Amino acid sequence: MSTAEHEDGSVDFDGPILQLRGVKKSFGDLRVLAGVDLEIEKGEVVCVLGPSGSGKSTLLRCINLLAPPEEGTITLEGTQITGTESEGGVDFVRRRVGMVFQQFNLFPHKSALENVTIAPRRVLDRSDAACNDRGKELLASVGMTDKVDEYPDRLSGGQQQRVAIARALAMDPHVMLFDEVTSALDPELVKEVLDAMRELASEGMTMIVVTHEIGFARDVADRVVFMDGGVIVEQGPPAQILDNPSEERTKRFLGLVLEH
Amino acid sequence: MQALWDSIQAIQQQFFDPTVMTENFDEVLAGFWVTLRLSVIAGVLSLIWGLILAVLRQTPGKLGAIVRLPAIAYINALRGVPLLLVILIIFVGLGQLTNEGAVPEFIGIPTWFGQRDVFWYGVFAITLTYGAYMAEVYRAGIEAVPSGQMEAARSLGMSHAQAMRYIIVPQAVRKVIPPLLNDFIALMKDTALVSVIGLIEAVQVGRDVSRETLNSSALMLAAFMFLAVTIPLAMLLDRLIARQQAQTSRGVSVL
Repeated sequence: MSTAEHEDGSVDFDGPILQLRGVKKSFGDLRVLAGVDLEIEKGEVVCVLGPSGSGKSTLLRCINLLAPPEEGTITLEGTQITGTESEGGVDFVRRRVGMVFQQFNLFPHKSALENVTIAPRRVLDRSDAACNDRGKELLASVGMTDKVDEYPDRLSGGQQQRVAIARALAMDPHVMLFDEVTSALDPELVKEVLDAMRELASEGMTMIVVTHEIGFARDVADRVVFMDGGVIVEQGPPAQILDNPSEERTKRFLGLVLEH
Repeated sequence: MQALWDSIQAIQQQFFDPTVMTENFDEVLAGFWVTLRLSVIAGVLSLIWGLILAVLRQTPGKLGAIVRLPAIAYINALRGVPLLLVILIIFVGLGQLTNEGAVPEFIGIPTWFGQRDVFWYGVFAITLTYGAYMAEVYRAGIEAVPSGQMEAARSLGMSHAQAMRYIIVPQAVRKVIPPLLNDFIALMKDTALVSVIGLIEAVQVGRDVSRETLNSSALMLAAFMFLAVTIPLAMLLDRLIARQQAQTSRGVSVL
């Protein structure tokens, strides 16, 4: 696989933007991922569904090396990022992969704008002016123009989560990971966050979305992945997986989720 | 009845003799000025040294153990030894090493900024000890910052050091300002221990006067001078704690 890095950090590569092969991860005696193979194409939106404890969140944490896998390989833009043959380090990954968390994790001692600008300023050494301009642009893109100077404790959950999306985008990621980003929100605040994600998907961002929002998966996903017991049970286009699953475990899960 | 009255007068004379207090006021105040300088210099250095220790203590990973374990050992050792002992060890040790030529006089018998060597021995000893106390306070603050903060910072490409510097420590310090202030009050009172190696600070001046006059009033005067500083600090502390509690109960993070 040939790769060449450009000055802006982008890499020429063949094949999928992200490739997982036999990824395994345990916490103590608990095996959370029991061998996951997954390929993501550039610009693809993949929704990951599955019961709690099925390893969905851990999968995301493996991809950005917050929880490095014990076995298997992960290749990002043609560069192996795991194991002894790893060519790209943690920095390589974190500058290409953004993440949004269930609990927002905004920095409470910083304003919305400072939350968005701190990483490009400190990690990429960009000028304050450039960071502020870009930060305001990103906050505008998630509908937060009039809240740039507010602190997180003055924002609703939905607003905080939109700031968190802008914050991740400020590092110009090539792939975005969403870890149950609407699960901690009041029902009436879910839509504004999903709309921001829809917008991002329509701009061609590569996204891996762990979610319980079946409607979002149906509308936005190019592919739905169903996980259970630390493995991928089945995957395919949303219509196929959601309406006509072939595996018993998928049917049972969807039955429980769609009942109400 | 007269006997009782005589007793009361004797007590008043022994502890609150206005003549002794006024005659020795300037001398005690000069001593208290030394106490204050020692407290502020050692207090600031302890705050810095304690933060360094606390951050070293949090260094992650196998490689981090090279600094993490010594930091833990240091903190536990200095927390478990009387400050008085640390003062004496430094006084005897540094003085003797300088006499033998093992340590340059500039460091062994420091007279920086016109202060005597025993003043700086006191600064060293208090900083070494209170740095360890304050490291534990900072540690509590660092551990009180939710783990999601570190994860978010790391996911944005920050190194562990950058995440500590810009995200974790600023939040931790805000949480522990009251207990740090509490430690500073204790530190200020502990400066009196430096008198054992010959520093003429407030308590020592009071002792010298009481030895000459056989009267406790100069010592009481020193006590009032301490209270003039520590009571406002304690009131400030109470207000800070009340403010934090109000914010926490409103569900607002402490800024």
